[in-house]
Amino acid sequence: MEIQIRNLSKTYANGVHALKDVTLTIPHGMFGLLGPNGAGKSTLMRMIATLQEPDQGSIRFGDIDVLRQKDKVRETLGYLPQEFGVYPNVTAEQLLEHFAVLKGITDRRSRREIVDALLHQTNLYEVRKKKLGGYSGGMRQRFGVAVALLGDPKLIIVDEPTAGLDPAERVRFLNLLSELGEDAVVILSTHIVDDVSELCSRLAIIDKGTILLEAEPLQAVAAMRGRIWRRVIEKTELPELERAQSVISTKLLAGRTVVHVHSATSPGPGFDPVEPNLEDVYFTTMAGHYGGRGEQPVLEAAR
Amino acid sequence: MRSWEIFRFEIAYQYRRVSTWLYFIVLLTLTYYMATEIYIDNARSDGYFFNAPFVIAVMTVLGSLMGLLSATRLAGDAAARDVQTRMDPLFYTTPVGKAAYLRGRFLAAFVLYAVILLAMPLGLLLAAVVPGPEAELIGPFRPAAYLGAYLFLALPNAFVATAFLFSMAALGRRAMTSYLGSLLLFSVVVFSRGFVAGTLEWWELAKLLDPFGMTVLGELSRVWTPVEKSTRLIGLQGSLLLNRFLWIGIALGVLTLTHLRFRLAHHTAGAWWSRGARRADRETPMGDAIVHVAPRVRRTFGFATHARQMLTVARESFQEIVMSWGGLVLAGMAALAVVSGTQIEHMGVPLFATAERITAFLAAPLTSPQEVFGMIVPLLIVFYAGELVWREREARLSEITDAAPVPEWVYFLGKFVGLGLVLVALQALMMAAGMLIQVLLGHVDFQIGLYARILFGLQLPDYILFALLALAVHVLVNHKYVGHLVVAIAYAFMAFGPALGVEHNLLIYGSDPGRTYSDMRGFEPFIGPWLWFKFYWAGWALLLAVAATLLWISGKEADLGSRLALARRRLTRRAAGLAAAAVALILTLGGFIFYNTNVLNPYRTASDSLTWRAEYERRYGHYKGIRQPELTRANLRVEIYPGRREAEIRGTFHLVNTSPDAIDSVHLATKSAVNTTAVRFDRPAKNVLSDEEFGHRIHALETPLRPGESLQLDFELHFKPRGFPNRGMDASVVANGTYFTNDAWLPAIGYQADRELRSAGDRRKYRLAARPETPMLDDVEAHSDAGGAARIAFEAVVGTGESQVAVAPGRLRRTWTQGGRRYFHYAADVPIRNHYAFFSAAYAVHEGRWNDTSIEIFHHPTHAWNVDRMGRSIQASLDCYTQQFGRYPHGQLRFVEQPGDGVSLHASPVNISYEEGFSLLNPGGDPRDIDLPFAVVAHEVAHQWWGATLTPARVEGAAVLTESLAWYSALQVVERSLGPEHLRRLLSMMRGVYATPRTRAEVPLLRATDSFLTYRKGPFAMYALREYAGTEQVNTALRRLLERDGSGTPPLATSLDLYRELQAVIPQSLHYLLVDLFEANTFWELATQRVTAKQTETGTWQVTLDVKTRKVVVDTAGVETEVPMDDLIEVGVFTAAKAAGPGEPLYLQMHRLRSGEHRITVMVASKPARAGIDPRKLLIDVEGDDNLKEITRAEGQKR
Repeated sequence: MEIQIRNLSKTYANGVHALKDVTLTIPHGMFGLLGPNGAGKSTLMRMIATLQEPDQGSIRFGDIDVLRQKDKVRETLGYLPQEFGVYPNVTAEQLLEHFAVLKGITDRRSRREIVDALLHQTNLYEVRKKKLGGYSGGMRQRFGVAVALLGDPKLIIVDEPTAGLDPAERVRFLNLLSELGEDAVVILSTHIVDDVSELCSRLAIIDKGTILLEAEPLQAVAAMRGRIWRRVIEKTELPELERAQSVISTKLLAGRTVVHVHSATSPGPGFDPVEPNLEDVYFTTMAGHYGGRGEQPVLEAAR
Repeated sequence: MRSWEIFRFEIAYQYRRVSTWLYFIVLLTLTYYMATEIYIDNARSDGYFFNAPFVIAVMTVLGSLMGLLSATRLAGDAAARDVQTRMDPLFYTTPVGKAAYLRGRFLAAFVLYAVILLAMPLGLLLAAVVPGPEAELIGPFRPAAYLGAYLFLALPNAFVATAFLFSMAALGRRAMTSYLGSLLLFSVVVFSRGFVAGTLEWWELAKLLDPFGMTVLGELSRVWTPVEKSTRLIGLQGSLLLNRFLWIGIALGVLTLTHLRFRLAHHTAGAWWSRGARRADRETPMGDAIVHVAPRVRRTFGFATHARQMLTVARESFQEIVMSWGGLVLAGMAALAVVSGTQIEHMGVPLFATAERITAFLAAPLTSPQEVFGMIVPLLIVFYAGELVWREREARLSEITDAAPVPEWVYFLGKFVGLGLVLVALQALMMAAGMLIQVLLGHVDFQIGLYARILFGLQLPDYILFALLALAVHVLVNHKYVGHLVVAIAYAFMAFGPALGVEHNLLIYGSDPGRTYSDMRGFEPFIGPWLWFKFYWAGWALLLAVAATLLWISGKEADLGSRLALARRRLTRRAAGLAAAAVALILTLGGFIFYNTNVLNPYRTASDSLTWRAEYERRYGHYKGIRQPELTRANLRVEIYPGRREAEIRGTFHLVNTSPDAIDSVHLATKSAVNTTAVRFDRPAKNVLSDEEFGHRIHALETPLRPGESLQLDFELHFKPRGFPNRGMDASVVANGTYFTNDAWLPAIGYQADRELRSAGDRRKYRLAARPETPMLDDVEAHSDAGGAARIAFEAVVGTGESQVAVAPGRLRRTWTQGGRRYFHYAADVPIRNHYAFFSAAYAVHEGRWNDTSIEIFHHPTHAWNVDRMGRSIQASLDCYTQQFGRYPHGQLRFVEQPGDGVSLHASPVNISYEEGFSLLNPGGDPRDIDLPFAVVAHEVAHQWWGATLTPARVEGAAVLTESLAWYSALQVVERSLGPEHLRRLLSMMRGVYATPRTRAEVPLLRATDSFLTYRKGPFAMYALREYAGTEQVNTALRRLLERDGSGTPPLATSLDLYRELQAVIPQSLHYLLVDLFEANTFWELATQRVTAKQTETGTWQVTLDVKTRKVVVDTAGVETEVPMDDLIEVGVFTAAKAAGPGEPLYLQMHRLRSGEHRITVMVASKPARAGIDPRKLLIDVEGDDNLKEITRAEGQKR
């Protein structure tokens, strides 16, 4: 099963063009959607999750028309939104059981089994009888995962899942996600590049409502080899350097500024070649030197 | 089955919450309390069972209203909780489906509310079962009554309420909108019951408009007899069925609308009306990596900053309320005020829109929930206080604001000031509305100062005090919904405190002894005590504010222990000082007030007054009827000091022993309003008893008073009010507008039977012998009691302030000035009844004359609109009555304006008083073109004959001799002076009283005591007699009655004497009519079903009427008995109606008709338009409109 998105467009009532003619194919497995804040990621996620309507375009999941057969999609959907709350006065177990029924698990015994299994899987079994109002941010996130995983969904959408988690929780969460990619379509939408590089077999980069790049991470990184250069400079030298070169990213390292520059050849003395990573791909794409805005990628994934 | 799961989960969720059960218990307690405290009194006095089906029904509807708060919470929560906790994306992506989701949630809210409403029948059951009420007040237990009330009233109400509130919250996506929904529902109920039905009297519309069925029950309350109330079950018939159908239909429609509009989807924010206006908000990127540093600014801390911060918070809070729905509500209220204000009228006559009238209309006291919008403002305050206190926490900003360097008092005070500003804006809107009303009604004397003083000076402080209470409660009770409940309970206590037994104004938050404004009196004398009380309550408000500030929720610690600890740490010197100042204010002012209300004046609750009366009867009742000398002459010297609000009277009474026995002691009843001293007789007498508490003194005469001997009694009395009592100031003597009666001040002779308790329920409660409220018609003893009719010679010298005119009964012999005061010497030309009043004010006088009677109208200088009209009416009345009934014995007739905004008039010998409201009637603006003041003045003048000359015995039917005959006489004057057409219009207006729902079970006219019978049916009966038997005949009977019984010596006249005189003049053939009108409670049911007309060859028209006639007699229990009919009934045929008034009568003759259906054929000369039986509605028929019908032409007619 794969998701076919064709010519999706949406303009909000306040004039923002959230999506501009987006065409994308999301295959089976872990798919990463990268982009800055306001790129349109959440809008796209919500549309696939049946929570929002586009102005134009279509989405198909296998042979289900997502826009018109919402209930069918919801039967096999697991959605973990970017922001959500919980009922503070209910325990995790009670609410999870409630959702289990809503998702169609009506038989009491199998429901108990599934709920227990999920609570174990998200490591909430110990605190299952505690009221959700007392959960920390990470625990709440895990609860959201448990709800999303109810009913063995074939389409799982996670929107900015690791944003509020501490490092240990993040690792645990990503481990959890990686087990899911086996037999479902999992879309991970994030602005944290490392999440995608660690987990996803395909990715797309989106900005201002348009898809800038659709590729496999390894191949995209390979295409960058030999084009990324690094230099440590003073803060004051930056403006001049930006005018002269294609600076794709700046970082701080122990108080000094480190710049990465994209160039086919060495930009000059003081620059060292660097082994590119996905972040470089991301910044390069965003800067317009790669993908939809600039040169075509060297390798494209087979459609 | 997902629907079931949603339903089950919701029920379990709400079931576990404390507030759900809290509401149940509160409702239970309230129902129980209301039943045992309030309805028990109604049941006792009105004579139906305390657990009657009717009472159960009424309490059920009241409970639906009271329970609206919990319905709001349940429905609002069920609908909007997902959005507000932001769980909606999780729910909406499950395959639950919109229908199942909405259905499950709605049904859960409905079921929960229905269960909570079970608290009402439970409370009523408890009230009937738990020992307390007297056994005879409890009727048989009828489960059908409880079941019926629950099924037909509570459940549909719950359905309608839940449907509305759920829909509003679901579509508005906030629980708050369901609050506004409940406010709307509540207002609609109160509006339709109170205004549409109560004021406008459009009962049919009101019954449909009212979603809770309150108006339907209100109508039944008026129509059903006590027996019916005790026994009849409230069933689904007639208007109740229609109402239920309509509102359930509306509810279903609303739910359908919700289902269609609701979407299980992500909601994009942005109000629909601002979509076009906003420019495209683009997501602005972070920008390049260089950081632009914001410039440094100086920051200050300290009191000045805090004050400015407080003002910022205030402005924020003000905007928050006004820019949201609250602003619309305020504007709506102003609009509503304008709409209803232009309707103010009295008996259909519009009033001059003086500033005084309009402000009285707008500025209802905070705790009088009956007024059109009396409840809306407090509810708004309650609601917005909660919103303000919870604003930061609900927006999840609280942690940021709590960490800011802003002291708590800034927030509290800022929010309070913000809310206060909203209230100021409201008053400004009301002022604008009031002035607009004045403009619309064409009376442009604005008197802005008065508006300002009343709206901003008197009403606004009440609102502000309540706002502070609401805010403080919300801070202290750290739970939004429970906070609302507590404030609502506090408001209920404030509004209904006296009914619940707490009467002292020191104990009811924000209350005061009351205040009124009148053009004559101004704000006096109520302002002084009002101010003291308001400052006292300001002290409490300050204390509450300090407590709220100390216990302000800051940070995450919300339990009581940590809050108290935090409070202790926050207790700065300033806070402690403020608290101490508040306590000092409370104690000093409270002490001062207490001294005034309880030490300087006796403090009496309503039940204390009853106890006093019962005790008086117990102690002195055995003196009833003993021989006492009669008052024959009163000689008074009155000194009024308007500026000091004092008066004193030195009087001499001449008493004569008119009885056949010797009298050895004189009983003197002194009045509590004054201090009576220096009581001396002209012969030796010993004061053997002086009961100051009960105002009874006994003086034993050394030598008994022999029959025929006379006795002189001298006394002095002082009116010198000290301080102010709890129930309000005695306004008898004020700077302008002094008015007091002899009954109120002057001592009286003998045991005062008037002080006894009258109502059967009260007498039973105090274990006194049962006695009818009004003595029976055949109570011979009462006929001989000449108390009310005795005549006295009267003379008085009244002194008052220099700029004022004093009025007393009798001729003004002379007036002079002495020592800076003006004196007036009055003496009555002939003896008058011992019932009169003294007036003193800066009057303007309108003078007139009729033959040798001088006519004077003393009025407030600006109230001159109707004075000419009144003068003309007096002249016409004197003319008419002298001719028909006999001479007016005095040389002068006066109308005197008395302070007070009511519209009533009171006739005494020579002087007739009228309240200020009467002078504001504007008959010129009456669309019906009826000169009501003219007619009313004629009525009052008639009392100089019917009442002053002929004083009836105090038994049943006495009011027929006074009120009915006075109205009958006034009808004559109207006919003679204004024309028969005008009389017809006046009668039509008077018949409008039949449109008000009322029960047909009544006593016959001869025994009448209530106002409907004596003020309406009586005159109608007399007018009918006149039309049937002839004006001269009836007037002859009246003349003879006056001649026989107009002297005032016992035995006094009763309605039977009138009846005998009428029997003597009316032909035998019409005696049946006398019986039907006076002896029995007869109703004619006459209807014209069809009228056709056919033109004959000769050009005349043949009119055929199909009529139906029936006559029933209804007894006091409501049992109807049909009686055979063989009556004379007028049949009439009329031409087409012209612009105003009916057409000309082509045929108007009496026919003798039996009961049943008849066909009557008459011939008329020209083309008829309408015809019918009893077209002039002479006979008593509740449905008078079906007497006349339009003519339809018979078939087969061509011309």
